[in-house]
Amino acid sequence: MPIEWYLVVSALIFSVGAAGVLTRRSPLVVLLCLELMLNAGNLALIAFSRMWGNGDGQTFAVIVMVVAACEVVIGLGLIVAMYRRRLPIDVDDLRELHG
Amino acid sequence: MSTTSAWLVLALPLAGTILIALGFKAWPGRTAGWLGTAAIFASFVFAVITFLDLQDQDEHHRQVVSTLFDYANTVGVDAKLTILVDPLSVLMILVVTGVSALIHLYSVTYMTGDRGFARYFAYLNFFVFSMLLLVLAGNFFVLIIGWAFVGAASYLLISFWYRRKTATAAGIKAFVINVVGDIGLTLGAFFIFKHTGTLDFLGTFEQAGEFGTNNGDLVAGLILLLVGAFAKSAQMPFHTWLADAMEGPTPVSSLIHAATMVTAGVYLIARMWPLFEITPAAAAVGAVVGCATLFIAATIGLAATDIKRVIAWSTMSQIGYMVMAVSSGAYVGGMFHFMTHAFFKALLFMGAGSVIGAMAGAQTMDKMGGFRRAMPFTFGCMVVGGLALAGIPPFSGFFSKDEILALLADRGGWHVALVVVGYLGAFITAIYTFRMIFRVFLGDPVPEARELEQGHLAHAEVHVNPTDGEVEDTDVGFPGPEHFIAEREAPMKVAMGLLAILAAVGGLVYIPHVTSWLHDFLHPTFAESRYFEELEPSGTLTIVGMLIGTAVGLAGIAVAYSIWVRRPGTAARWQARFPAVYRLLHNKWYFDEILDALFVRPAALLGRFAQSTFERFVVNGAIVGGATNIVRAGSQAVRAAQTGLLRSYAATLLLGVAAVILYFLIRS
Repeated sequence: MPIEWYLVVSALIFSVGAAGVLTRRSPLVVLLCLELMLNAGNLALIAFSRMWGNGDGQTFAVIVMVVAACEVVIGLGLIVAMYRRRLPIDVDDLRELHG
Repeated sequence: MSTTSAWLVLALPLAGTILIALGFKAWPGRTAGWLGTAAIFASFVFAVITFLDLQDQDEHHRQVVSTLFDYANTVGVDAKLTILVDPLSVLMILVVTGVSALIHLYSVTYMTGDRGFARYFAYLNFFVFSMLLLVLAGNFFVLIIGWAFVGAASYLLISFWYRRKTATAAGIKAFVINVVGDIGLTLGAFFIFKHTGTLDFLGTFEQAGEFGTNNGDLVAGLILLLVGAFAKSAQMPFHTWLADAMEGPTPVSSLIHAATMVTAGVYLIARMWPLFEITPAAAAVGAVVGCATLFIAATIGLAATDIKRVIAWSTMSQIGYMVMAVSSGAYVGGMFHFMTHAFFKALLFMGAGSVIGAMAGAQTMDKMGGFRRAMPFTFGCMVVGGLALAGIPPFSGFFSKDEILALLADRGGWHVALVVVGYLGAFITAIYTFRMIFRVFLGDPVPEARELEQGHLAHAEVHVNPTDGEVEDTDVGFPGPEHFIAEREAPMKVAMGLLAILAAVGGLVYIPHVTSWLHDFLHPTFAESRYFEELEPSGTLTIVGMLIGTAVGLAGIAVAYSIWVRRPGTAARWQARFPAVYRLLHNKWYFDEILDALFVRPAALLGRFAQSTFERFVVNGAIVGGATNIVRAGSQAVRAAQTGLLRSYAATLLLGVAAVILYFLIRS
């Protein structure tokens, strides 16, 4: 299968993720969409890795997954903390840092 | 020759300062005083050893330089901790340590009971150390350090009774005027250093010949040095601090006037003789100012009523003689007068301290009188000191003052005018000196004197400031509760007795055409001087000068006797008849007022302007306010981007990344 298909799928998933980050207001969904974007990136990395017959891309993908796991831990932790303090679970309402 | 002893002369007072200061609460009784006295006595012993070592040297090797360490020896600067041991500095350290040791001894009794006893001796030792550093300095660098130390020590001691407002004001006045002098000295040294490229005295003097006569830079540099000398030596117009400095304890006045401090200016001019001799313009300034000071200070002494201030004005007048002498090439005369003056002036102050003790702290002569029978020892000492000050043979002041005037007369030219003023000053000196002695010791005994004759020393129930009459307690920061007179206290008696002997016979070391010990001793320092050998008053000139000196001295005493003893009302009548003259003298020729109007008020006005206008509008408004306004306006603009909306940040990020990628895609 030519590499283009993989890249098209990757781009589609990335766009879906980006659109979700930009439009959704629930931090939980924003995190989900971020994961989509990261995994789209992973897909592209692995596709390129296969194309060149080189393991570097796969190594990179593993590292991205580790980063994604860390990010989810912190993000979910933040959301739980917000929930406990009865703050609104809405990224648009959490704008105390505006200038 | 080994210079260890000279270094020890310096080290011992410093060690005394540190030792007394570190244990100032721990020293029991008078221990601190005895420690301080011992340090200075030991220093004097080493000064004598240095003197003997120096005399063992060959005539041409009597200028010994010793360096302890290099402070900054870099490109073009040679700042080292160097001392110069030569006859001039050895004469100075002998007199300074000798007289200071006796003053310390006197202070051990005089300051007993004062709550700041140990602090007093730490300061006193530091004062002597500073003066020794000043006179032993081998280059401008050390000289400036010693010079500044002396100013700081004088400030500490003048405002020693720090709860007295008058004393702290006097201390500040002395310090500020001395700092003006310090600036003069430092700038002057720089003017000279700029040309010679060395800070070292001997190196500078070697190059003195390369300056032409009255070289412009050298004239400026030396006049700046003279500013330093005038401020330290209380010459016009920098003299106003010295009379106020009487706020310090009496032995401090004695120390400032006799051994340390005011003679520093005389020493500086004498030390710089190679520069002054090729710059007659600057030397003339020194001579004329000295001459004017000796006359004006003497006239003010006529109208002063505070016993210590009379002696203070006489110091200014006598230092005027010295400055005039060393500026005109009469080096031996100047240094000789420095030595004899140290003896009799320390003695006079000690006598005054004893009288003040008998008066339980009061200082005005209006309340004194008739102490002759109550205090025979003090009376005797004061008469010896007074005769020496008035220049009556064979007391020491007679020989030294006449030596100065004879040398100046021999110089000829316009210096003869200085001689005339000098004799006039001597006449006035004799009047005010014996005015003081007659008013204090002769006449009807005051109650304090009568009580003392019965064996009771007056004791003040309420302690007051002698200057403004404010009531004081006797805790730390004010004088202690006890008063002492020389008749009853051995240390005071010993100190005054020794000084009385020195004041009486000190002049015998240099009688013209009879003994020339001092001249021969100082010869190595002034070996290449134009005037040192050349000025040799002939026998006739010397004898005529001495006759005139004796005559004006005796005439002055006779005038004082007729005004204040034979017809006691005369002084008041004269005051009534010449009120303008009396007011002029009583207000010290209005120097305080003139300086106040010329410098203090404009400076205060400028300060107020700076505070109320410049600081408010320029500093706060334009500089500080302008900077904050720029930052505030800038951040105002940037703040709009900070919406706090997470999604807008994400959109910006995405758009930005997309734009960057697009840019590279299009370019490739």
